[in-house]
Amino acid sequence: MAVSTNVNTPKPSAGLGAELGKRFRSNIQTYTIILALVAIWILFAVLTNGAFFTAQNVSNLFRQMTVTSFLAIGMVFVIVTGNIDLSVGKLAGFVSVVAAYFQANVWYQMMPDQPLIAATLSVIIGVGVGVLFGVLQGYIIAFLNVPAFIVTLGGMFVLNGLILLVTQGKTIPANQPYFSEIAQGYLPPIAGWVIAAIVVVFLFWNMFRSRQSRARHGFELPNLGLELTVTIFFSLLVVGYVYWVNQYRGVQTPVLLLAITAMIMAYVSNNTRFGRYAYAIGGNREAARLSGINIRRSIFLIFVLMGLLSGIAGIVLASYVGYGTTAAGQGYELDAIASAILGGTSTLGGVGTVFGALIGSLIMSSLTTGLQMLNVAPAWQYLVKGGVLVLAVYADVYFKKNR
Amino acid sequence: MSDDIILDIRNVTKRFPGVTALDNVSIQIRRGEIHGLCGENGAGKSTLMKILSGVYPHGDYEGTIIYDGKELNLGVGAIRQAREEGIAIVYQELTLVPNMTVGENVFLGKEPVERGSIDWNKLYADTRDILAKYRLDVSPQSVVKYLGVGKMQMVEIAKALSENAKILILDEPTSALTESEIDKLMEILENLRSHGVTCIYITHKLEEFFRITDSVTILRDGKTVATLPTRELTQEKLVSYMVGREMKERFPRGHRQPGEVIFEVTDLHAVDPNETSRKVLNGVTFNLRRGEILGIAGLMGSGRTELVTTIFGEYGKITGGSIKLEGQEIRVSDARDAMHKGISLVPEDRKGQGLVLMQSILKNISLANLDQFSGFMRIDGDAELAAATQQAKALAVKAPNLQVRVDSLSGGNQQKVVIAKWLLSNPKILIMDDPTRGIDVGAKYEIYKLMNDLAERGVSIIMISSELEEVLGMSDRIMVMHEGRSTRTLEIAEASQERIMALATGIADELVAA
Repeated sequence: MAVSTNVNTPKPSAGLGAELGKRFRSNIQTYTIILALVAIWILFAVLTNGAFFTAQNVSNLFRQMTVTSFLAIGMVFVIVTGNIDLSVGKLAGFVSVVAAYFQANVWYQMMPDQPLIAATLSVIIGVGVGVLFGVLQGYIIAFLNVPAFIVTLGGMFVLNGLILLVTQGKTIPANQPYFSEIAQGYLPPIAGWVIAAIVVVFLFWNMFRSRQSRARHGFELPNLGLELTVTIFFSLLVVGYVYWVNQYRGVQTPVLLLAITAMIMAYVSNNTRFGRYAYAIGGNREAARLSGINIRRSIFLIFVLMGLLSGIAGIVLASYVGYGTTAAGQGYELDAIASAILGGTSTLGGVGTVFGALIGSLIMSSLTTGLQMLNVAPAWQYLVKGGVLVLAVYADVYFKKNR
Repeated sequence: MSDDIILDIRNVTKRFPGVTALDNVSIQIRRGEIHGLCGENGAGKSTLMKILSGVYPHGDYEGTIIYDGKELNLGVGAIRQAREEGIAIVYQELTLVPNMTVGENVFLGKEPVERGSIDWNKLYADTRDILAKYRLDVSPQSVVKYLGVGKMQMVEIAKALSENAKILILDEPTSALTESEIDKLMEILENLRSHGVTCIYITHKLEEFFRITDSVTILRDGKTVATLPTRELTQEKLVSYMVGREMKERFPRGHRQPGEVIFEVTDLHAVDPNETSRKVLNGVTFNLRRGEILGIAGLMGSGRTELVTTIFGEYGKITGGSIKLEGQEIRVSDARDAMHKGISLVPEDRKGQGLVLMQSILKNISLANLDQFSGFMRIDGDAELAAATQQAKALAVKAPNLQVRVDSLSGGNQQKVVIAKWLLSNPKILIMDDPTRGIDVGAKYEIYKLMNDLAERGVSIIMISSELEEVLGMSDRIMVMHEGRSTRTLEIAEASQERIMALATGIADELVAA
């Protein structure tokens, strides 16, 4: 038989440029969205005469994206499995008022001079409420077979009611010491540098470890120059970011929290069975079932995870605005869905990345910040955001067809 | 019967990459007759129907088709046009909107309109007239989902006739019908004939040709074997026309000595889990030896796929009988359980059930076996890649690397990926449901060789196939199914195409064996 096996045959290493080009073509979607982000930034920088890039503004830009980003990360997993969650905005809102309620009323009476313990307990309770609600919704969706759209739409109404019950229609202050630090705090510049150094060392260590492991298994190694270029590029991004925000007041704690969460979730999506199964279920439910994947369990866990991330988002929200209000989290679910989709998550399921959702979220918050700086009326901000969302998805459809 | 030809198919050839589905097919159909179309699975019947109904437009095939005196010239996407020309197909799978009434379905897309709104009275009156004319016994106002399959078929027929169909093509209309519904359908067809409607009738149930058709055309391997008046035919003659060909050297012969019996199914009964009144298995008995290839033959709808998916724990609800693996009675709860017990299933529908098309070869191969490479949380990506690479090499998957998406591969290579995936769990029993469907001859040969290698290494294989040649070429023994039952298990030496076909169509074995 003239059967040739081309799998894994070493080929002459191409030039760096060619390798980069190949990588670009194979990840065209990710790069398109990054290019869109850069284009938006340049546009705003020009229109605001550079004010868009001041240290203070960049600092605010990143902090503004954090709450929706936590939700968008969870939403990627939900949409990847072919589901949707409309309740995340209100869930984050509910968690924020619960945390505020405990901060302002309960702990203050129980232990008025223990702000650190109080804040810790608030975080635990808030995140716990998120997880519990995720467990409830996940159970109804996965085990009672009610479509996620309906369960979470109902959940949205229920949470709205719960928010009104807890707040009694009033605003609850959540600006106590320590608790405020969660979303309003800044790391001292030196801590920012230490973290940057750790990240850079990790990036290089990870690159060499991965090459070593591949070599041990006898695989062809990717072009070293290319890998170095990519690693150096990301290192420079991190260093540059830290340098720039240190010009203002330093790295914000919520951004650090988001970065850690995003890294963990990106790892989970690629390197655990839980993550792989989510993509398989969304890609072909029948094939996943015949492969012995417990679909109910996976979907249940996805909604629990979504609840957990909504809980974290709620805590950050309460700490960031300093209040628990009746309107907390209003419309955040739509921002989260939009971010995930801008970042390349397919509404048909099976496709989507955490990294993409973060970029999508960054685009959304860049639009908000930039348009505000230009004093564009809120009505027009909505029009622009809606247009960008549809245009971005159309561009993706167009490029896929005409590749 | 006149000699007025309504449809003259002349030398039609239709090629797909690697396969010639229709090879110089010529059929003449007279006006007003019921013309039977007969052939094994894959003989080219459905391709021909797709040409007539406009799925494959004019120019997509060679040859000419003269319809009602002029050349049939259907453009691209001309399914609508074919209907307007008067060629209507009633498919095996009904195409009605379940939540709509009979009248709404009959006039779907061509509702009578009066000053911008639908004229409901006219719609229901016209429906009633059509139903009455052809003596179709359904009420125009009934909601379709509450009707039985037989009645739904009547609605389909009414829908076709409402467009003034001159030729009505019925594709296996009786496969889901009960005996009394079949009788009713036969009456309707006779009535249609008396109204001058021409029918092309496709079925796997040979006795129906004798019941209703005026003449029969037999297709085999995409060629017309013969067109004969029904009265000159017998069932035995039909069978020999369907299969009468010589075996070619297309199958590598293995040298193996099957060992002891390791798997036994005894009198297995099962029902459809979603509709427990519907029996899918009515007594299946067979056994499987170590290192053996057991072929399962049977026509579509005979319960072959239902049998293997039930064994795999993913379909039928078992209501009786036993399954024994290595002497121990087992109950398989789901796919994961089956894999733990050493049973793998290469499913029938490669794209629908076997692969996650948008994912890479690597992820597809490892999907069912990620446990092998992961600890509590982390998947060891390198171990995963190493194992998948080894499988891909063993199966000669042709691809630049394992990161390639499987939807960019050819059918044969996709099938190898599915097989690689299911071999990764080191099964004792490998069930393959139509493993070579829709793949080219070269890839088929590679898969046959692989099956022989596996059997020689002691893996027991159950192979379902729609192609008789393949079953005969590859199996050590052949179990033939008919209507949810196992009829007989033939040793390869006593098996022949005629004999299998006779068992599969439900004609008594002796008729042909004699």
